[in-house]
Amino acid sequence: MFNSTAQPAPPPPYDLKQALGVGKLTGFWRLMTHFRMAYFVSTISMGVSAILNTATFLLLRYFVDHYMVEGDRSVHLAVYVAGFLALAVGQAFATFNSRRLAAKTAEGVARRLREYIFDHIQRLSFTYHDKTQTGELIQRATSDVDTIRRFFADQAIEAGRIVLLFVVNFIAIYLLDWRLAWFSVIVVPVVMVISLYFFRRVEKAYEAYQEQEARLSSTLQENLSGVRVVKAFARQEYEKAKFDKENREKYARGRHLLLMHALFWPVTDVMCGAQMLGGYLFAGWLTIQGEITIGTYVAYAGLVVWIIWPLRNLGRLIVQMSESLVSFGRIAEVLKEEREPVVEGSVRTDKPVRGEIVFEDVHFAYDGSGRAALHGISFSVKPGQSVALIGGTGSGKSSLVNLLPRFYEYTSGRILLDGVELKEYPRHYLRQQIGIVEQEPFLFSRTVRDNITYGVKREVSDAEVEAAARAAAIHDVIVNKLPQGYDTLVGERGITLSGGQKQRVAIARTLLKDPRILILDDSTSAVDFETEAEIRQALRRLMQGRTTFIIAHRIQSVMDADLILVLDHGRIVQRGSHEELIAQDGMYRRIYQAQMRLEAELEEELTRV
Amino acid sequence: MSEHIEFQEEEFTTRFSGRTIRRLVSLLRPYLAWVLGFLSAVMMVSGLDSYFTFLSKRMVDEGITPGDWPTLVQIVEQYAVLILVQALAVFVFIYLAGILGERIRYDLRKQLFNHLQELSLTYYNRTPVGWIISRVTSDTDRVAELVTWGLLDVTWSSFNILTALFFMAQISWQLTLIVMVIVPIIIVVATYFQRKIITQYREVRRVNSKITGAYNETITGVRVIKALDREEENLREFSKLTGEMQRAGYRAAWYSALFLPTVQLISTFAIASIITYAGVTVETGGLSVGGMYAFISYVLFMIWPVQEMARVFAEMQQAVASGERIFSLIDAVPDVVDKPDAYEVDSLRGDIVFEHVDFQYEEGKPILTDFNLHVRQGETIALVGPTGGGKTTIVNLLCRFFEPTRGRILIAGHDYTNLTQRAIQSRIGMVLQTPHLFSGTIRENIRYGRLDATDEEVEEAAKLAGAHAFIEKLPKGYDEQVGEGGVLLSTGQKQLLSLARAVLAQPDIFIMDEATASVDTLTESLIQQGMETLMKECTSFVIAHRLSTIRNATRILVIEDGCIKEMGTHRELLRLGGHYYRLYTQQFRQEVIDQVEELAALAAAEQPDAAQAADAQRRDRLAAELAPAD
Repeated sequence: MFNSTAQPAPPPPYDLKQALGVGKLTGFWRLMTHFRMAYFVSTISMGVSAILNTATFLLLRYFVDHYMVEGDRSVHLAVYVAGFLALAVGQAFATFNSRRLAAKTAEGVARRLREYIFDHIQRLSFTYHDKTQTGELIQRATSDVDTIRRFFADQAIEAGRIVLLFVVNFIAIYLLDWRLAWFSVIVVPVVMVISLYFFRRVEKAYEAYQEQEARLSSTLQENLSGVRVVKAFARQEYEKAKFDKENREKYARGRHLLLMHALFWPVTDVMCGAQMLGGYLFAGWLTIQGEITIGTYVAYAGLVVWIIWPLRNLGRLIVQMSESLVSFGRIAEVLKEEREPVVEGSVRTDKPVRGEIVFEDVHFAYDGSGRAALHGISFSVKPGQSVALIGGTGSGKSSLVNLLPRFYEYTSGRILLDGVELKEYPRHYLRQQIGIVEQEPFLFSRTVRDNITYGVKREVSDAEVEAAARAAAIHDVIVNKLPQGYDTLVGERGITLSGGQKQRVAIARTLLKDPRILILDDSTSAVDFETEAEIRQALRRLMQGRTTFIIAHRIQSVMDADLILVLDHGRIVQRGSHEELIAQDGMYRRIYQAQMRLEAELEEELTRV
Repeated sequence: MSEHIEFQEEEFTTRFSGRTIRRLVSLLRPYLAWVLGFLSAVMMVSGLDSYFTFLSKRMVDEGITPGDWPTLVQIVEQYAVLILVQALAVFVFIYLAGILGERIRYDLRKQLFNHLQELSLTYYNRTPVGWIISRVTSDTDRVAELVTWGLLDVTWSSFNILTALFFMAQISWQLTLIVMVIVPIIIVVATYFQRKIITQYREVRRVNSKITGAYNETITGVRVIKALDREEENLREFSKLTGEMQRAGYRAAWYSALFLPTVQLISTFAIASIITYAGVTVETGGLSVGGMYAFISYVLFMIWPVQEMARVFAEMQQAVASGERIFSLIDAVPDVVDKPDAYEVDSLRGDIVFEHVDFQYEEGKPILTDFNLHVRQGETIALVGPTGGGKTTIVNLLCRFFEPTRGRILIAGHDYTNLTQRAIQSRIGMVLQTPHLFSGTIRENIRYGRLDATDEEVEEAAKLAGAHAFIEKLPKGYDEQVGEGGVLLSTGQKQLLSLARAVLAQPDIFIMDEATASVDTLTESLIQQGMETLMKECTSFVIAHRLSTIRNATRILVIEDGCIKEMGTHRELLRLGGHYYRLYTQQFRQEVIDQVEELAALAAAEQPDAAQAADAQRRDRLAAELAPAD
């Protein structure tokens, strides 16, 4: 009948940007694009289900009055029975269909939203990511999206069901006897108001309860991760008391929450019960007076249930639905941020760049910092040459290299790549031309092989991967030290690599990518001599024939560079080759001398003992 | 680290283990009165629910059909009173069961937490923190739900079905028999669906955590993704996950959507037979109008208790597994236990002796073998050597976080297994490589060293540890919050605070695991100063990374493969030209590398004179450090 295992088709592409910048309700309407028909059918089915439910009782009325009381046998018993069965089958089908289509809508909307947010996040600028907290962003992408999913899957459809049941059954009772209809809804407004008030309060109390739960588990987490401190200071009793305090608070908040529930349900029970009983009595009186038939009484008794009891839950649904509006707002905030345009730019070519780079009076300031990070930077590099940047923390080394892949946009001046202004190159193309090896590269929690081929846009054979790893001096480590070799999972639940090993994986990755321009953060953590020599060799192989920018942490790697730029507070204070810079008084010579002196002191110490 | 042994998630049975269930039930024993209270309340509610339908039947048959108004009013009055009684019972069961649930959560968590405080470090080394946390949080939740609301729902449901059958039998026993055939069918179907639904939701949660992981990785690695221009491929991969999620979510919803209509459809057959019976027997007076109405109501209502029962039984499996996991934590035995006649001492000043100490975490994988060491009171011992060589193990043994598997350790002449753990640990001051702080104020964190210290003493300790200067600069000074785990402070500041904490403890033995992360020069020298304060007073063990610390130690131990490779002063060891010589030169070069940026910053100071002065100052300091101690 239905195939539950069929993969629902991915939603057709739709730029969710359009769902924003409008009112929240309009936003919800636009989120449903491509699913409106399904959702509409779902609502209709719900209505059909409500009507068939009511019809069952009306048929019962007919059966009681004609077949049972009057003894009218013109309609055969089997017809009645068949009628009941048909109505039940219809109702079951309608209910199922409504829920199924609502879920289809909700899952489809959620999937499209998830994908859109995911893509959006990875296309937002560095500037955005610099100022945004990871946890906050994840929260929006996961639990806020889920809130919206529940809006479509459960809340809206359930609220619709309650309203439809009320309307359909009210009309039915009205048709049976209009006085009964009005008499039966006396407490309805009161119950609704109480319910709305109660659930709003409960929502707050529940939040407070959940907050305390979070506090309790972070107390626990802190205790567990600080177990050595706790033991070293013999503070077990103190910790127990601390935990107990939070635990007790949670108990107290839970009690408060329960007291509210324990009051709400019986109070509304009494109100709804009284209403129903009053209706029975009134209908009974009408029957005894001969104004309505017994069949009508029975139908009424069956129908009235549906206009009283479900309403108690409407308050909960309304509160939850207003929550999802808040979630929508939080998501819209992220989606409103401008994406980094990656294909924009007049240069249209597939050929690699040559790698000639010219900086002309480049200035740069981070958004909102007010202080310039780079001042009047001018220099030029020929293809294949290397530039070393040296300077203290915050001198502008990283800012300078971050301009090249257009991670940030320079504020004035020009940067020319192969004679064309950098801003003319699409970021997308530019980033393919540039390779970056960071000081402590970020590896993804996938296999070593996947990390090496990460970002390479073609099929890569195992032999190629191994060759790259060999050239990066990491092959032996992978084969001998890692449990599953190239298939070892990195990070989180897997194996943690040392900083130096990660760097070599990044070198291998960059070798495969084979870019014309290279940015290198040159630092190796404490490794033994042989490894260090291997890494230097690997780096040298990598730099071969590429325009290279080195962020230098040691004089040794600066010495071979074609051009050395000494940076201070965002300005170039000295430039030239190692020999030139040694020959003049200045910052470079001082650094060099200080380092040489330290080395000499070590030599001296070692010979003196 | 070799200390980390691969954690094996224990397999917990999915079959109901009688022992676990008995233990779960025993959780309720202290609250027997409450349990009886809410159970009788819920039985009353449940019975009244059934009785109300019966009263409705009587209203029709005894009041309305014969046109007997006084009888009708009489029945309605009875009904009204019972509604009030039922409301009271509802209040009682929600309140009692709910609070009992909270109470059991509270009890279990307290018991778990307190037990965790007693467990040894070996337990923590082999058990991931996340595993423990979900034992204390979600597993206790599940168990508490089961023994309160689960019990309540089952009671309500079964009692409701029983009483409904009872009243139905009052109306027509023949029809009741037919209904009794339908009930087990509904139960079987409902249980099947609930199982399916729960399995599907588990799948949803599994995919969901993968999705969260993907978000996390993309956000933290966004710079690499951009640099490698991998957005499209990334989105394609992510789309597979969202597809999985969509499918899992849809399947779960599909089963949920199918569940109720199916059950309702089955009960419709019962209704059909009721109507047929009513129709066939109408001439012989078999079933009255009220009776038929009541039967239909009973059957329509019956799906709710059945659904509840099916849900509880489906969830029960998981809750019992949760119970098993909780009990396995409670039953974990600490490796280090005080002897019954263990005694306290006021001071542990004196020599520390390791005698033929062996240690292993796992059978057949010795970490230390025949380790011997005699440390005199007041000495500073620097432990150096490769990671995993056994440095941390020695320190942990000294703190009695573990005990030697063979041999013994004497502190101030006492075999330390004869002392209480408290006696030892309260006399030790410890600073860890990654300093651990607790959320709260700076003052509270320092006071952790000695709980009864006055504010003056806290500040005094901060001064001695060199932390006072930076604390004073903070807007709220000592009352500044440090954030969870101290996130609001820098690594250097955290180290200074943990030093102050150790100073305040006035320990006899000081243990420090030096940080490898570099901190700025000023903080570095403050840390040195704080350490020196402590090392002057105590017998000290330092897992050393900084050259100055190593050089200042009275003795240096090169630990490799679980034994002392070399031992002596800095100069003696350099002269040997062995392990230490290599370690030292390597470390020296690393520090030189680390200093380039700093040197650049110094050299760049605005006036060349000042730069030179600073450089000269630093050079002097370095020279002084490098000068041999003699």
